[in-house]
Amino acid sequence: MLHEFSYLAPRERKDLLQLLKKHSSQARLLAGGTDLLCEIRLGTDRPEVLIDVKNIAEFRGIAFSEQDGLAVGAAVTCVELMEHPVVRKRFPLLAHAAGQIGSAQLRNRATIGGNLCTASPCADLGCSSLVLGARVELVSARGTRVIPMKDFFTGVKATQLKDDEAVQRVFYPVVAAGAKWGMEKLKRIKGHDLAVVSVAIARTTQWLRVGIGSCAPTPVVAADLPPNASVKAVTEAALKAIDPIDDVRASREFRLAMVQEFIAKLLPALS
Amino acid sequence: MFDNIPDSELKIVGKGVERIDTVEKLTGAALYTGDWVVPGMLHGKVKRSPHAKARIKRIDTSKAEKLAGVHAVLTGKELDYRVGLYLVDKHVLAKDVVRHFGEAVAAVAAETPAIAQQAVDLIQVEYEVMTPALEPKAAAQKGAPLVHPDLGKYDYVKAVFTPVPGTNIANHTKLRKGDVEKGFKEADKIIEREYTNPNVQHVPMETHVTIGQWMVGDRISIITSAQSPFTVRNLFAHSFGISHANIRVYIPYVGGGFGGKAGIHLEPLCCLLSRQAGGRPVKIQATREEEFSMLPCRSGLVYHIKTGVKKDGRIVAQKMTMYWDAGAYADYAVNVTRASGYSAAGPYEIPNAWVDAYTVYTNKPFGTAYRGFGHVEFSWGMERHMDLCARTIGMDPLKFRMLNALKPGSVSLTGEHITENTGNVRLCMQEVADSIGYGKLSAAEKAREKKTGMKIGKAVVALHKAPAMPPFTGTVVILKMNEDGTVTANLSLTEIGAGTYTSIVQIIAETLGFPVEKVRLPVENDTDRDPYDWQTVASKGLLLSGNAGILAAQDLLARAYEVAAQVLRANPCDLAHDDEKVYVAHHPEKAVSFKAMAVGYAYPDGNAIGGPLVGVGRYVAQGLSNLDKETGQGHPALDWTYGAHGIIVEAHPRTGEYNVIKVASAFDVGRAINTRSVRGQAIGGMLQGLGTAMCEGYRYAPDGRLLNPNFTDNKIPTSLDMPEEIDCIAVETPQIDGPFGCRGVGEHSMIAICGGLGNALQNAVGADLTHMPIRQEDVWRALQAPKKAGRK
Repeated sequence: MLHEFSYLAPRERKDLLQLLKKHSSQARLLAGGTDLLCEIRLGTDRPEVLIDVKNIAEFRGIAFSEQDGLAVGAAVTCVELMEHPVVRKRFPLLAHAAGQIGSAQLRNRATIGGNLCTASPCADLGCSSLVLGARVELVSARGTRVIPMKDFFTGVKATQLKDDEAVQRVFYPVVAAGAKWGMEKLKRIKGHDLAVVSVAIARTTQWLRVGIGSCAPTPVVAADLPPNASVKAVTEAALKAIDPIDDVRASREFRLAMVQEFIAKLLPALS
Repeated sequence: MFDNIPDSELKIVGKGVERIDTVEKLTGAALYTGDWVVPGMLHGKVKRSPHAKARIKRIDTSKAEKLAGVHAVLTGKELDYRVGLYLVDKHVLAKDVVRHFGEAVAAVAAETPAIAQQAVDLIQVEYEVMTPALEPKAAAQKGAPLVHPDLGKYDYVKAVFTPVPGTNIANHTKLRKGDVEKGFKEADKIIEREYTNPNVQHVPMETHVTIGQWMVGDRISIITSAQSPFTVRNLFAHSFGISHANIRVYIPYVGGGFGGKAGIHLEPLCCLLSRQAGGRPVKIQATREEEFSMLPCRSGLVYHIKTGVKKDGRIVAQKMTMYWDAGAYADYAVNVTRASGYSAAGPYEIPNAWVDAYTVYTNKPFGTAYRGFGHVEFSWGMERHMDLCARTIGMDPLKFRMLNALKPGSVSLTGEHITENTGNVRLCMQEVADSIGYGKLSAAEKAREKKTGMKIGKAVVALHKAPAMPPFTGTVVILKMNEDGTVTANLSLTEIGAGTYTSIVQIIAETLGFPVEKVRLPVENDTDRDPYDWQTVASKGLLLSGNAGILAAQDLLARAYEVAAQVLRANPCDLAHDDEKVYVAHHPEKAVSFKAMAVGYAYPDGNAIGGPLVGVGRYVAQGLSNLDKETGQGHPALDWTYGAHGIIVEAHPRTGEYNVIKVASAFDVGRAINTRSVRGQAIGGMLQGLGTAMCEGYRYAPDGRLLNPNFTDNKIPTSLDMPEEIDCIAVETPQIDGPFGCRGVGEHSMIAICGGLGNALQNAVGADLTHMPIRQEDVWRALQAPKKAGRK
């Protein structure tokens, strides 16, 4: 719980990439730290080096254009997402999902990059970003690659990220802007809690997608369904995409039932 | 001590006086044990067992001992001290066997917490893992593997408890009243069911923390976050054979206790590490995870109730069997068992009653006192059962409760006669029933149902509790007049958040006729400075220390009058006083100031009389007795505080999602000394009760590992979980021996909330639950059951 580590806070992107190359698997990237510092305290992660990405301009900020869509820096906090006028107007599901994370204090610190790279099955920005068709920009000294978010998650707390790579930005395509949406999150108290089950739905004129959290090793998405898909069809697709477990938070049976309840509740009410 | 003074004649008592510790707490000026640094201080860390039951084959501490900065390493092997209050069954560190997940097996003191932790990580323990006992009912059976094979050799309070050596039963409390078999024969219906509760953690904001120092000549200095300085001192003295006079316990501000800091906890380990480290002080601050498993929790309970009821609603017989899941050590759980045994029926009259309450050892983290002291747990079963009985005979549950409630002329389970002044539980029930509009839905509530698709249910539940304490519990207040005519009070209750200190200041100020600003009650406690008190537990502090405060104030005034009578050449009986001076009643201009008498009255020539003014008030509980071990008959109760909650809940008939719309609570507090404190206790306890009811509780793996030793998966309610509406009502039936007629109400607000929630949910959607907490999944699951008894 009192593991010692070096703390590095580069100011330039190129320095960051060199540090990552140098320290590789010994290093962890620090953004908000709301997951990482807990892991270090518990001793479940014992990195030698923490590299803070918050000072690097390319990791900050939210940009939008009608051509390229929305680009969100990995170190953008939940509160920044929640309060950004374009996000609120064009990607309200994303603003809403960011508001579901933790408590007010945590949302001031926690970042989109952190939430996605922790890659918990319950990540609130996981199922919501999946239905918006998000792509993830991975950078390293070797170059840059952009992959669909559904390929980014590979297992419980596992991603495609290589030891020398960082998530720099998350992209949301213009086609998802203005999608009708809805999201439900099952919690155990009304105060802050992680998702015991979460369901996010987005619908455009072209497609309908349903994203589900805490019901598989990763957040999952059932896509692309026809926009006029019935509750029954959406439910069937969703159930096919998930395989929940029994754990201390809920039983498999209850999770399956709640996914169905949420779809039935959300679909007729998408706004 | 109740002088029947009308409210109109009281200046300070009965008012919402601001708490005396407000400014220090809000500004951060208040110092807690965690803030304390003592010169030369080392930091302690503990190695804990990852197993619920195992034999310790070998502990290798050699690497830890060699680590630079380590000053002491201890294991159970070199220690032979047992510690306990009622049943002395626990070693400071596990010896030969571990009995629960998280049990302390070794400890280190080092120059920094990091070094200590590193050393702990270097300690290697080889275990032979064994199968744990996790089910209290099974563990209570003859022939079950024993958690404590040496139970027969343990010291315990023989007048009160009955361990059964050769079994896992650490105590068997019996109660027999009337003829229960005859009662069942007279009954028209017999209703029988079992109800269960898990372990629950207290979660005070401040975890357990202690600085202990074992100095030359076996002088002990302890700074600790504890509820009871003198019990820490007493148990320490007994365990180590050291004179009480050699031990000093200092308690700064305490960040919550809720029972978890009653008795003694980290103090012996800190002091033993200090002794090993050559007398340097050692601090241990428990982590939250340690709070969950190394330190104690609330016992689980399996409660079997069998009730015989007449068609007209009268309960004629009740047989109650409690299996208290004490976990690995039962020192405190035996007394929870005793206290809940003698009040097991709730505030209802049972003419023929039979209680068997067993404290059962299992291989789980051990139980201790927790706000309510067993009553929260058994009231879950009892209040659910009362509704079941009412439903079975087709009677309204509130009417059923009113009919069977204790009232003047009733005889309690232990044979105590209830009088007009015992308190009025029926009035409490009526008040909350009125507050929630019991028995019907308002137009607004009907409209809400229509809008939300949820169903609204209401319930009224009742509760009672008396302090669980030795019958001879006593206390002292000492009042010292300062040079400027103000007074400083010393006593050894601790202010663990209940607001009792402010109430006692009010009582003293009222008795003296002084403003509250002239009465100082330092929040810190020190056994070398303050006079004796047993413990800060049981909701007994206000009554006992309040009475001692009145006596101390009267004594101080009498001492001042003696001096004034000489100075003024008057009879003491002709004197009167205000907050500045004593004067001759019929010649008010003839006066002498308190200031002039405070440290001895001096005449102009220097000649003096009197000496410093001190008032002493001693008070001991009156008329109580140990209970007969075979029948449970006797007088255990200093006072009974009755109460009731009315709960409105809405629930979804398919998903089980629910919201608590309103909780109305009423307590017969005798007299509200501080109206704001009563409200604070009512709301705080209600929310803590909702936490127990809705979401808290330990979950175990089949091998006995605790699965949720943290706030990620042991959820506690937040401000967002408050009911939409809260109503707090004080009923005031004076307690004849209570200061200004008051009773304690520290624990009561938490009791019966669980049963109330369960009953309201059943009334709303028909979910019939017997296990708490009530999570949404539990409601959902209950709704899958075919038969529903909810509102149409």
